[in-house]
Formats: sequence, C-alpha cells, structure tokens
Amino acid sequence: MIIPTQEIMQPNHLACPGCGAALAMRYALKALGRKTIIVIPACCWTVINGPWGKNYAGVPVFHTAFETTAAVAAGIRTSLEAQGKNDITVMGWAGDGGTFDIGLQALSGAAERNDDIIYVCYDNEAYMNTGIQRSSATPVGAETTTTPAPLLKDRPKKDLMEIVAAHSVPYIASATIAYPTDFIKKFEKAKSKRGFKLIHIFSPCPPGHKFAENKTIDVSKLAVETGIFPLYEIEDGVYKINKKPKFRPIEEYLSLQGRFKNIPKEQMRAIEEAIQMKWQRLQAKAEYLK
Amino acid sequence: MKKLVLGGNDAVAYAVKQSRVDVVSAYPITPQTSIIEKVASFIAKGEINTKFIRVESEHSAMAAAMGASASGSRVFTATSSQGLLLMHEVLHWAAGAGLPIVMANANRAVAPPWSIWAEQTDSLSQRDTGWIQLYASNSQEVYDLVFIAFRLAEASLTPVMICMDGFLLTHTKEPVEVFDNEIDEFISYKPERDILDVDKPKAFGALAFPKDYMPIRIKQHEKMLGSIDKFKTIADEFSLISKRSYGPIYQYGNENAKLAIVVSGSISETAHLSVDALNDEGIPSKLVKITMFRPFPKEALKKSLDGVDKIVVFDRNISMGKGGIFKDEIVGSLGLGNVVGVVCGLGGYDVNDMDIKETAKSVFEGKIKQDTILWGEK
Repeated sequence: MIIPTQEIMQPNHLACPGCGAALAMRYALKALGRKTIIVIPACCWTVINGPWGKNYAGVPVFHTAFETTAAVAAGIRTSLEAQGKNDITVMGWAGDGGTFDIGLQALSGAAERNDDIIYVCYDNEAYMNTGIQRSSATPVGAETTTTPAPLLKDRPKKDLMEIVAAHSVPYIASATIAYPTDFIKKFEKAKSKRGFKLIHIFSPCPPGHKFAENKTIDVSKLAVETGIFPLYEIEDGVYKINKKPKFRPIEEYLSLQGRFKNIPKEQMRAIEEAIQMKWQRLQAKAEYLK
Repeated sequence: MKKLVLGGNDAVAYAVKQSRVDVVSAYPITPQTSIIEKVASFIAKGEINTKFIRVESEHSAMAAAMGASASGSRVFTATSSQGLLLMHEVLHWAAGAGLPIVMANANRAVAPPWSIWAEQTDSLSQRDTGWIQLYASNSQEVYDLVFIAFRLAEASLTPVMICMDGFLLTHTKEPVEVFDNEIDEFISYKPERDILDVDKPKAFGALAFPKDYMPIRIKQHEKMLGSIDKFKTIADEFSLISKRSYGPIYQYGNENAKLAIVVSGSISETAHLSVDALNDEGIPSKLVKITMFRPFPKEALKKSLDGVDKIVVFDRNISMGKGGIFKDEIVGSLGLGNVVGVVCGLGGYDVNDMDIKETAKSVFEGKIKQDTILWGEK
C-alpha cells in the first residue's frame, strides 16, 4: 500500500522531540482524512495541539474533561446523525490514563452501546503529561515517579484489548508507528466499519521511557519483535495476528529504556513468561476464533 | 391550547417533546426518572425525532450532552441529587464551552443519610458552575420554563438548569395548560453559533495562558449578567403566546408591604396562603419568589425589598456552617440588615402555610431576631 501523501496535521505542534503520539496522530489523520472530528481529554495531546487559538491537528478538536472522551464522542456522533451528517468520522483520542483508568467507565458505556466512533488510546504506559506517574498501563518492572526504585510497578499491565473485546464490538486493533502501513490500514478499516472501534497504539515516550529521541521507531519495533506488544486485530470476534513476533531477547527492548534500569533479573524472566503466555493465548484464539 | 392534568415531570417531558430537541442524553435517578421514561416513550411511538443516548452515568450524560451540543444539536438532559453532584465537573465544562444545554433538575436531598425527598442543596451546590438556574414553583411554570430555557440558553450561549422540588413538584399532578402548535414559531428560532465543523477546523477549550484565561472568564461573567435582560425579553415574547408572564422574580400580596417573605421553589405556592393570612391580620405583607437565581436578580430584588421593614427568607437548603443559601445571597448582594433566614423543609420535611405565617409574624414582631430553623410539627 501507499501511505497517503496528504498532510492534515500541521507542523509547529508542541510535542517533545521523538514523540510517538505526534507521529501516531499524523498517520491516523492521513488515513481518516479531513472529515474527522477529534475529542481530546486531559493528556499530552492537550498540550501538543497548541494553546488557545491554535489547532495543529488540522481538523476540529474538542478538548474535554479527563474521563469523558468516549461519552463526548458518542454525543457528537449522535448529534451528527440527528443532523443527517453521516460522512464524518468521530475519533476519541486519549492517553492510557484517560483510557485504562479514569476514562474506562465511559469507554465501556460507549462500547456496550456500540456507538459509531473510533476510540484511540495512544498508550505511553504512564501519566506522561503530569510527569511520568504510573498508570494501570504501566508494565511490570517500570520505574515511574510514583513507583520509584525499588518500588517498581509490580502488577501486570491491564489488558485493554481484551476488556473491550468482552463488549462484542465490531473492530479492535493494536498498532504502532514502526509499522506505518499496518497502522494506516487499521485506521482505514476502522473508518469503514459502523459501530464501536478501538485502536490501541503503543506510543513510545522519550522523556517518560527514558531513551534518546531518535530511538522512538526502534523502541516501537522492538516492542513488537520481542512480543511485548503483539500486532493483532479482533474483527467481529475473529482474531487475526498481523505479525508473528521474532521473540528477540527481552533485554534488547528493556535495555534501550532508562525506566527499566532497576528491573531485577527475576522480574525480567517473569516478563518473558508473561509474553509467552499471552502469545499462546492469542495464538489459540486466532486458531479457534476464526 | 388545552388543559391536561400533569405532574412536573410529565410537564417537562411534554415541553421537551414540543421543543424539537435533537438529542437527549440521560441516566435515570429518582425522582427525575419519569421525565426520561416519558421522552423514551415519545421516541418509541415515533411522536418525536429525538435521538436518545442511554448513557451509563450522569457524568457521561452531561459529557454526551456536551458533545452533542458542541456539534450543533439542541440538547436536553435531566437529573437529580447525587446525579447532579456526579455531573459537577462536566457542568463547569459545559458552561465554560458556552453550550446551550437545558437540564431539568429534580431537587432532592443529598446523602448520607439516604433521602429521596425535596431539598435544594443539590442544585445550589452547583451555584458557581456558570449555569443559569431557574426555580419553578408549580407544574405550569416547569412546562413554560422549558421553552424559555431553550431560547435563553441559545441566546446567551449559557446552559440552563430548571430546578423543581422532588415529588412535591415532579410527581404532584395539577392542571397544566399545554400548547397545541401555538409555541412552534417561538421554539423553532435557533441563533447561529460556533460549532465543531469540518469545514472550519477549530479547537475548542484548548489550554489558555493567564493572559487569555482571565478575559475569557470575565466575558463569561458578563454574558451571564446580560442573560437577565435576555430572560425578560424572551419571557415577554413568551407571554404574548401564553398570556403568562415571567421575570427573574415574582411578587404577590401587598404592594406597600412592611413584611416580605422570600422563597424559591414549591414553598412559594404554600406561602401565598401565609401572605393572605398575614394581610388579613393587618400585617401588610408580600411574597417574593426568586425564579432566576443565577445570574442573581439583584436589581429586581432591590426594587422589591426596598422600604420593607422585615424580610424573612425561607430556605429549603443549607450551607453547613453558614445556614440558608438564598438568605446569605440576599444579604450579601443587597447589603441589608433586616433579614432573618429560616432553614426549613430539609429532606422533604413538611412546611405548611400556618408555620410560615407564624414564623414570619414572629420576625415582624421582633420575637425572632436571629436566623432560625422552622420545625413545625415535629
């Protein structure tokens, strides 16, 4: 496939250098086009999109309260339907804090109602906008300002895709910017389907994950190749793995990032075991839920 | 026009039906529930084209209402008590974003202990959210105020909350004059407003630095103050159709009163009797009902209370550690020294006309000088 050359997102936005979420929005809008309305709660994108009077997304943006993304998006969708405007995509665009944690109830509500929106979680695995505090998306062994060493995050990351899958929605996908064609295909597919769609984007964060700003794509890619972040889709309940991980050693991924510098060896092994277990379950689902 | 026997909730639902509402987003809560049940039944019967978002909480009800309003629809929701408190954060958002949402609130006490009965502490806790608040005293007012509220919200770009005492108003049936199609032209008018538009891609509600934030807030405050005059203009237009007039306050009784009983909500109906009795006893008295609470109708109240010797404010609400909220607002706004506050009727506690009369009389005769509590029959 060819990546659309059209640039909707504008330069001069306020993202940190190497921000995965900035690139994610750029690709998402390439796929969705100008007839898109975005809802943004409290998250890094509140800042990235520019202060009062600016709008670097290039499409209408409604800034809203932290926990309301899915509900506001549902309201916009319903309003457009009431006005007979059926060619506009409504996208909720929230971080992991606003999705996995405080926004989960509204997300569940919209998913259960099958509201015709695309809900995107750009997951940088902590509350990065407030300065790197743990979220329920923070992985085991990661250091954050609220889980400083040696009190590293000791509980596994919440499985958002499976939580949303339990709502029987038409489309769920994981994506990351290291695989732009896969990424854009998924947004195009989400746009073409009616009902609730979730796209879970792994979004590396140089200051939060503590890696050099030119390593964002490498970190994204290694997350997939080590099996930590599998690329897969659940379309009408059917599981499809988009890329089989190479299962490269977990150290390659962890050692790139300062947030894992204090991870004990046994926790590293536990992560490897968790990767394998998740992979086997995923494979089994892909096998049986065809 | 025809007369129907309706409770306050039915009256709201009828008015919503006739207001060409595009989107309703709501969650059930006692004693509001029958409003949204009725709206749902109108939709189910195909009597209206309204879309109904059946949200999972009041927080999402207001959030969805906000999204729907921001993208150009006329939006209604309803709530009560704990539900209103859950919405609190989003109420600020809706007002700050200048969204003309109309909401009915069934005034109900706040837990703990659990109470489902009338009290205004729920809506008065939302005093500073930037919503226009209108307090109705009977089902006819509730019905009429819905139409006025939509016009007022859209003219002021400010959301409007219509408050009515739970059960006393929401569920007590009384004759209400309802329109056939006389109201259509009045309610069909919708001014142009700035909305989410893919052809004009703007960002709404972005981060504002202090130099931007303060002017925005001051503008919002001025817009709110300006809605008093807008209310009068719209209410005058409404009176041409309905022959019923509304204003920020309502007065009844002796024009040269020496004693004023100030109330809001359904106690107003009861207090008519008290004022009649006081006038019969030779104490020149009047009733002043506050309909518009935010913005605060300072000028109208000043005019009304000027020259009155004693003012008694009956408050079915309480600010812990202070007392009745309307009393405090009147004293604070008008700087009066002759006001006694009476907290009464909390959590649906009965307030009758004789008790109001006797308490007001005691204040007038100087037997009660301090703020007090009306117990009535314990």
